[in-house]
Amino acid sequence: METMAARPIPAHVPPDMIGNFSLFSSPGLEPTPNGDPQAASAVVHDGPRIFYSPVNTRDGKGTWVITRAQDQRRVLQDPETFSSHRSIFASALGESWQMIPLELDPPEHGKFRSLLNPLLSPKRVMALETAVRERASVLIDRIAAAGTSCDVMTDFAFPFAVNIFLRFLGLSDDRLDEFVGWANDLLHGDNVKRPAAARTIVAFIDELSADRRRQPVDDFMSFLVQSRIDDRPLTDMEIRGTGVLLFIAGLDTVAAAIGFDLNYLARHQADQQWLRDDPKRIVLAAEELLRAYPTVQMIRVATRDVDFEGAPIRKGDYVSCATMIANRDPLEFADPARIDLAREDNRHTAFAYGPHRCLGSHLARREIVVGLEEWLKRIPTFRIKSGTAPVTYGGHVFGIENLILDWSQEDAA
Amino acid sequence: MKIIVHREKCQGHARCWAMAPDIFELDDEGYIMPGDIDVPEEQERLAWMGAKSCPERALDIQK
Repeated sequence: METMAARPIPAHVPPDMIGNFSLFSSPGLEPTPNGDPQAASAVVHDGPRIFYSPVNTRDGKGTWVITRAQDQRRVLQDPETFSSHRSIFASALGESWQMIPLELDPPEHGKFRSLLNPLLSPKRVMALETAVRERASVLIDRIAAAGTSCDVMTDFAFPFAVNIFLRFLGLSDDRLDEFVGWANDLLHGDNVKRPAAARTIVAFIDELSADRRRQPVDDFMSFLVQSRIDDRPLTDMEIRGTGVLLFIAGLDTVAAAIGFDLNYLARHQADQQWLRDDPKRIVLAAEELLRAYPTVQMIRVATRDVDFEGAPIRKGDYVSCATMIANRDPLEFADPARIDLAREDNRHTAFAYGPHRCLGSHLARREIVVGLEEWLKRIPTFRIKSGTAPVTYGGHVFGIENLILDWSQEDAA
Repeated sequence: MKIIVHREKCQGHARCWAMAPDIFELDDEGYIMPGDIDVPEEQERLAWMGAKSCPERALDIQK
C-alpha cells in the first residue's frame, strides 16, 4: 500500500463531525491475522449516523461516512444528488473515460443497463448453472485427491470465480494466472504496479474488441461491438469502459466472498454441520453470509450542496456507503452482530442499493451457493489448519489471504 | 392481500422472485413487471416473505 498523505480537511466540515474511523486503517481493518474486518467496521454504530472520515479512499481522500442502511438507501437511490460519475480507473492513467455502467448517471446509465441486464438476468444465470457446478466439482475433486489441506484462495476460490467470469466474457482459461496477477496488482499493488496493471488491462480489452470487430464469435465482446444504443454503435471508449469494468468486477469479489464464508464455517463447526445435515439450507445461509461478509464500499460525489441529517455536504464531497456498515445496522437488522444462517428477514445490501445494483449479482449468488454446496459435498469436516492464521484486510475491497483449511484426522485429534 | 408494486424503485435484485417466482414476475431484464399483485389467500405467507425481502423497499403489503 502506498503511503496515504493526509489531505487538509475541508473548512466546511464542522470539527465535531470529524471521526477517526477509516475502512483502511482502523483497528482490525489493516491486514490482521485471524481478523474480522466486517465486524470491526460495525464499531461506527456506536457513533453518529453521519461523520467525516479524513482518510477513507485508496488514494487517501476524505469522505462522509453514512452509517445507517436507511440513509445509504437514500443516497444510492438519488443519483442526481449523489453521482457516481467518476473516472477512477482512467484517472490513474491520466485519462478520463468512464467505466460503464458504473460511472455513468441516469439517463445514460439506463441505456447501458438495458443492454447488459438481459445477459446477467436471474433467468439467464440459471442457464449457466451447469457450467458453474462442473467447474466447482472439478477443482474440489482435484483438491480432495491431493491431500487433506489446501489454500482455499489459490486452490479454489480464485480459479473458480475467475474461470466462470472468463467463460462469460468468452475467454479461455489459458491465461487465468496472468489475469489474476493483473487484478491483484490493480487492486492491491503499489503506485508503480497499479497503473502498469491498468494499462495492461486496457490494452488487452482494446485488442480483444478489435479482434471481435474483425471476426465476431459468440461471446460478450462480440455482442458489445455489434450492439447499438440510441440507434448508433458504441464508441471505442464506451466499449473499452464496459469491457474493463466487467473484466475487473468479476475478478476478486466472488472469490473473497467464498473465502470469508469458508473461513466462517471453519470456525463455527455447529453451523457447518447444520448445513451438511440439509444442504437445501445453503441458499438462505448464503444470504446471511452476504449480509455478514460483504466486501465493497460505494463512493458517490455530491453534485450540489446538500444538508444531510445535519451534515453540510458540499458539491464535490465524497460520500461513502460501505455495505459492511449498512449490513450491521441495528436499526435495519435484529441483533446484527449475530450470524444466523436461518435469518429470514434479510434485505441486506451486499450488492448495493439504487440503479447501480451489482449487474453480476445473480451470477455471484449462484457461484457462492454452488461453491458452498460442492465444497461441503466433497470435503469432510474442515477447520483452520493449526499453526496457520488467515490474514484479513479492509480497504477498497475487503479480502482474506492465507486461508489454509485442514480436514485430516490427525489435526482433528 | 395485495402487493403494491413501486416499479420505479425496482432495481432488479430479484429477491421477491427468488422467494416466490409464481407471485412476482420479472421482465427480460430481470426487473418486476408493472402492476399491483392480488395474492390468493394460500400464498399470503410467501408473498409476504417476497415483499419483505426487497432491499429497495419497492413492495408494500396491503391487507
